[in-house]
Amino acid sequence: MDQEPVILALCCHYCAYAAADMAGSMRLQYPSSVRILRFPCTGKIEVNYVLSAFERGIDGVMVAGCLEGGCHYLEGNLRARRRMERAKQLLDEIGIGSGRLEMFNLSSAEGPRFAEIATQMHNRIVKLGLSPLRRARSEVLSGVAVMAQASAAAIAGETK
Amino acid sequence: MAAGTTILDAARAMGIAIPTLCHYRGMSPYGACRVCLVEIDTPRGPRLVASCSHPVEEATTVRTATPAVLASRRTVLQLLLAQAPDSQELREFARELGVEGTPLEAKPEGKCILCGLCVRVCNDLMKRGAINMFGRGAARQVRPAFGEQTDQCQTCGACVAVCPTGAIDLAKITARRPRQHLTSYDQYLRPRPSIDLAHPQAAPRVPAIDRDNCVHFKTGQCGLCEKVCQAGAIDYDQQAKTVDLDVGAVVLTPGFQAFDATRRMEFGYKLLPNVVTNVQFERLLSASGPTAGHIRRPSDDKAPKRLAFIQCVGSRDPKLGRPYCSSVCCMAATKEAIMAKDHEPDTDVTIFYMDLRAFGKDFERYYNRAKQLGVKYVRCRPSAVQEVRPANTLSIAYLDEDNRSHQSEFDMVVLSLGLSPSATLQEQAQRLDVMLNDWGFACTDELHPMDTSRPGVFVGGAFQEPKDIPDTVMQASAAAARAMSLLVKARGTAIRTKTYPPQRDVTDEPPRIGVFICHCGSNIASVVDVEEVVRRTRQLPHVALAEHNVYTCADDTQDIIKDRIGQCRLNRVIVASCTPRTHEAIFRDTLRDAGLNPYLLEMANIRDQCSWVHSTRPQAATDKAADLVAMAVGRAAQLIPLSEQTSPVNKAAMVIGGGIAGMTAALAMADQGFPVHLVERAAELGGIAPQVYRTLDGMNVPAFVAQTVDRVLKHPKIKQYLQSTVTKVDGHVGDFTSAIATNDGKLEVKHGVVVVATGAVELKPTSFGYGQSDRVMTQLELSSKIGRGEMKLPQNATVVMVQCVEQRTDERPYCSRVCCTTAVRNALLIKQQCPDARVVVLYRDMRTYGFRELAYQQARQGGVLFVRFDADAPPTFELDSGGVIDMTVRDSILQQDLAMKPDLLVLAAPIVGQEDRQAISSLLRVPINADGFFLEAHVKLRPVDFASEGLFLCGTAHAPKFISESISQANAVAARAASILSREVMPVSAQIACVDPEKCVSCMTCVHVCPYLAPIVGEENKAQIQPTVCMGCGSCTSECPAKAITLRHYVDTQILGAIERLLGEIDESTKAPAPAKLAAPSEGASLEQVGIAKPRWTKG
Amino acid sequence: MIVADRKKIPEIRDMVCRHKRVLLVGCGTCVTVCLAGGEREVGILGSAVRMSLKLAGHTGVQLDECTIERQCEDAFIDVLAPRVKDYDAICSLGCGAGVQTLAERFPSTPVYPGLNTQFIGILESQGVWTEKCLGCGNCRLGEFAGVCPITRCAKRLLNGPCGGSRQGKCEVDADRECAWQRIYDRCVALGTLEQLDAIAAPQDWSTGIDGGPRKVVREDQCIVGLGPKA
Repeated sequence: MDQEPVILALCCHYCAYAAADMAGSMRLQYPSSVRILRFPCTGKIEVNYVLSAFERGIDGVMVAGCLEGGCHYLEGNLRARRRMERAKQLLDEIGIGSGRLEMFNLSSAEGPRFAEIATQMHNRIVKLGLSPLRRARSEVLSGVAVMAQASAAAIAGETK
Repeated sequence: MAAGTTILDAARAMGIAIPTLCHYRGMSPYGACRVCLVEIDTPRGPRLVASCSHPVEEATTVRTATPAVLASRRTVLQLLLAQAPDSQELREFARELGVEGTPLEAKPEGKCILCGLCVRVCNDLMKRGAINMFGRGAARQVRPAFGEQTDQCQTCGACVAVCPTGAIDLAKITARRPRQHLTSYDQYLRPRPSIDLAHPQAAPRVPAIDRDNCVHFKTGQCGLCEKVCQAGAIDYDQQAKTVDLDVGAVVLTPGFQAFDATRRMEFGYKLLPNVVTNVQFERLLSASGPTAGHIRRPSDDKAPKRLAFIQCVGSRDPKLGRPYCSSVCCMAATKEAIMAKDHEPDTDVTIFYMDLRAFGKDFERYYNRAKQLGVKYVRCRPSAVQEVRPANTLSIAYLDEDNRSHQSEFDMVVLSLGLSPSATLQEQAQRLDVMLNDWGFACTDELHPMDTSRPGVFVGGAFQEPKDIPDTVMQASAAAARAMSLLVKARGTAIRTKTYPPQRDVTDEPPRIGVFICHCGSNIASVVDVEEVVRRTRQLPHVALAEHNVYTCADDTQDIIKDRIGQCRLNRVIVASCTPRTHEAIFRDTLRDAGLNPYLLEMANIRDQCSWVHSTRPQAATDKAADLVAMAVGRAAQLIPLSEQTSPVNKAAMVIGGGIAGMTAALAMADQGFPVHLVERAAELGGIAPQVYRTLDGMNVPAFVAQTVDRVLKHPKIKQYLQSTVTKVDGHVGDFTSAIATNDGKLEVKHGVVVVATGAVELKPTSFGYGQSDRVMTQLELSSKIGRGEMKLPQNATVVMVQCVEQRTDERPYCSRVCCTTAVRNALLIKQQCPDARVVVLYRDMRTYGFRELAYQQARQGGVLFVRFDADAPPTFELDSGGVIDMTVRDSILQQDLAMKPDLLVLAAPIVGQEDRQAISSLLRVPINADGFFLEAHVKLRPVDFASEGLFLCGTAHAPKFISESISQANAVAARAASILSREVMPVSAQIACVDPEKCVSCMTCVHVCPYLAPIVGEENKAQIQPTVCMGCGSCTSECPAKAITLRHYVDTQILGAIERLLGEIDESTKAPAPAKLAAPSEGASLEQVGIAKPRWTKG
Repeated sequence: MIVADRKKIPEIRDMVCRHKRVLLVGCGTCVTVCLAGGEREVGILGSAVRMSLKLAGHTGVQLDECTIERQCEDAFIDVLAPRVKDYDAICSLGCGAGVQTLAERFPSTPVYPGLNTQFIGILESQGVWTEKCLGCGNCRLGEFAGVCPITRCAKRLLNGPCGGSRQGKCEVDADRECAWQRIYDRCVALGTLEQLDAIAAPQDWSTGIDGGPRKVVREDQCIVGLGPKA
């Protein structure tokens, strides 16, 4: 694969995000393809978010929450797991394949495990290849630039 | 830039990376390696200079990556590679810069590039001069004078630390013996720096200098840390200070320390490398530990296949003067065994123990699970551990229960260390005038477990008696309650509140985002090209300002942010720096100071989750950082201000259950000034406790209960409702309304918290002839009989006590915790009253934990016979028509049957939950565990809270426990409840779910999904979220089929905004329209025009 | 409530792929409550079908989403009207009645079903729906202590259980309750066991669906001169 994949990591604040922080303070190196988005709990992660990300061309999505039985919000992660199972089924039906989505559980003290699952997910996506729905990154960036001009104009106008 | 700043330093400050080998921050530049070459413009044209030593000048143009620079740098590296071909570090460094090898003939061996850094460190910084450069040309080398090891070397290791190519071998330099600097951080398993945290969870997380090992403190030299620390946080002159405090109560929580294992030399700790303590083993299991969570034996770093735990090292050992049981080690070893099996399933784990004391809530189930997983429990106390060379394996000789001797080998042995009281308080205790017991723990009595010998001084945790986490948490809260009862008048008098300017209304303003990108010194900027991120961020929509700062969290930068918010009329702020987990609160406060709503802040974590973890790939890290900031921009543009509401607090409490736990909780709250409604189903207060005659330490329980009842009845703040039940509880934390059915009819009370203290009962057994003979009774019945003076025994009577009756079985797989001690206490009382009686206790494991162990020893010395039987060979029982009882039991040690004809048979019947527990459970919507006891919010960390806010539990309703533990837990409840009742209002989180009633279809999905029962069916049969109950997890919002519920601060547009900014909008061709409300057809257009058939009928 | 569940994505994709512009319409009543066709599902299926179309090479299909209050009510359908002219096809996430009502109102627009309508039932527990009523047109729940053997007995037996009642479960499917066990238990609880001594008459199926589509007419409610003839 000549282009790096982009993987969205939807992480709960209390465990997965904290574990990612810990991987950082331990200076554990893992692939840079993973972009973390923070949620209060995996219980907040909706199927639509996952599908929207795939529709916009993400190569892989990992959902990471507390250990089962250790959810800060009691059972948010258990419900999330079931929703992600459904999302995986939809991804299979769509033809994207359920392998591009995975849910992980880890505790806030498991920095090394975060690095491990990030690497695991990266390797899996590299093997699966870029998403067939992906657009070139340059296209995305140029789109952003167009919007930015409009916005800058708006901001400028507003400041006057 | 200050005059004299070098190009390298200036570039780094601006976030521009320049590679270098011989430059070391804090050391003067030397310009030896030439890797840091850059190109500057001079009047005579471009020129290459070493950026580490060349000062910046006004208006100099510096180019860091021109073809000439890169070519020269490559050449330099090829030369260096020829000089030091054996250095792994150098080869990797060269590869990163695109140099694979050298075309020159490499030296036959060598790692040193003669950069001189080690020599400068040794001479300039340490002032030792142990090494120097000798020889000229090709013969030049770094070595001690005459090439001989020298005692000029202080073995500080600085030369090793600074060497960029790993070329220093300290053994060739020093005449002394270098030793590793081992610290408590990793439990002395791995070397650590002499500036360190005491342990990984240290709070505050501020490292300290180990003065005994720091070169600066020992010799006055070095001082490197002060030069390196960009935050200027190093202060060598700090002195210990004595602070005078004016306090009304003192709580002692100094904790414990582990037994010094070298006192049991025969186990080989510190002599044999593969013998470790359980504290060290915990470190090996820890994912953040020295082995990153892999169990490795110290001698060879291999995973041990055979693991042994030796229990009671420094516990239950009268010879060492440590006769007590340390309470926690059996379960700790069991947990460590399970975790070892989790890590490596084929690890063979053996635990050598005496009695397996799984006495706590759910402990027995956990112990059973360990056995199922294949953990081997061997009942034997080994006498020694011997090493078998050459593999450093360890051999243990032991006898099994059939008296067969074994010799087993293990790869690693873990010593389960006993708990000693904190050493720091041993001397101070006298000054504090607090009495300590024989072993240095604080003296308390069973009925006042938090009160030391000195009024106003309380104790919590293992300083009172060895105890595990939940018991410690309970007792600590309880000590707080005891202290607070003395501080009622002073409550709230020392509070300072901060004031903020009024918040600017930004609702109608289009987003104007200010982005502040942090260098975090060099933490971010040395990897991420911060300027590039700023450039890219400026391109993003709605971004009104983007700039970078060396430390965004520094006070002066925060002032800059506040200024910018005003000057540029920013209405959203993004800080791209470290983790919001530590810094969000700080920056939210900055926004509030600047008159912005704190929820208009967004953070991007470009340090912990970017520069630190992609430090070898600057370009990828820069790209990722730009993406993370872009995502934050996408989200920030959609942020809306939120306000935190409050809800009034009713300062009364309702306690359900008037036993010792309920009364104690009621009194502890009432003593703090809160009104209490105490509801008891029976006709009088007291519960089961009066039947317990004496505590183990001889305290008179019935008298204490009578006293407590009296205090309750006379307390002006407590209202009792006897023969009453609670029939309804509505509302939420701070504001409950309950219905109580009394003999005089129903009444309604309002209160802010609920305490469940409904207790438990002793089961009436169905085995061992219970109920068929008056010679058979339970331990509680015996206690009560002794208390009433009704126990009559014939001359030379035989008393048999059977432990674990109808418990620790498949049907009831739990231990009732108190029975072993109760049996010991009753046996001692019998022996005291009828010295000629023969008392035999038939047991499976004697679970006399903590100081209860001493009574067990006393009973054995006093002639009480303890006979162990196996669960699969329980005692037999026969009752003949003459009322004579015949029993036999297989003594597992003698391997022989013992026959007994008891005159009195006492059964240790299990403690079981109250019959009405299900009713209480559905009344309060609180869970019950598989054993029939109420389930707390967290079995370790929140032992007195229910998961729902404002609901608490204590006493045996929670789990079987001693009176002292009930009292402790009841006081803990009072402390936890006071954290609510002492407020005027409860803050209600702004980040909660709310329902759009227009969209709600009343499907009940949210009601079913929420674990906190926050959604209710409200007005007009639409769902409504109770704001004080909602914890903000968002589970309901993820499932609402009508999308009627949103979680504030995490609404769709914010989340999709972030995703969209990462990936761009969806193609126009498939762009989803917002599912907005559809407009009715405009008035003018006819139905045909819009392509719709006429309805089948219309009126008029 | 009418209970439905979603069709597989490829099935929906293959129905709509021939069109250029497709509107996915959800319904805010029964199918929202049974988590099959509300705004959330419309969003999920919309996204899924768009991706599926793209991957199958139908890059030119535009699929938009909206949800209306009730697909079986003219007034709410009218709200859709101004947008429907921009679309070549509709995919309805309503029940069968909703799909047909849309089809009737939009004569020139093909309407496809996105759901499989299942039955009249209830939410048994979160995520589980069970059938309770067949709509036989001749309700005899009074005879059977409020438990319908016509719907809930696999063999539709009216005079006691068959020999396959095993510990309260049905022999056809051990997960299913034996309706007759439930009838018996309820009669015991109500003290009306003797009621079961009577022989239940055979069901009069003339009111059922087998006689062709049914109609209910309330003369007093009819508005003279309006609507279809009673």
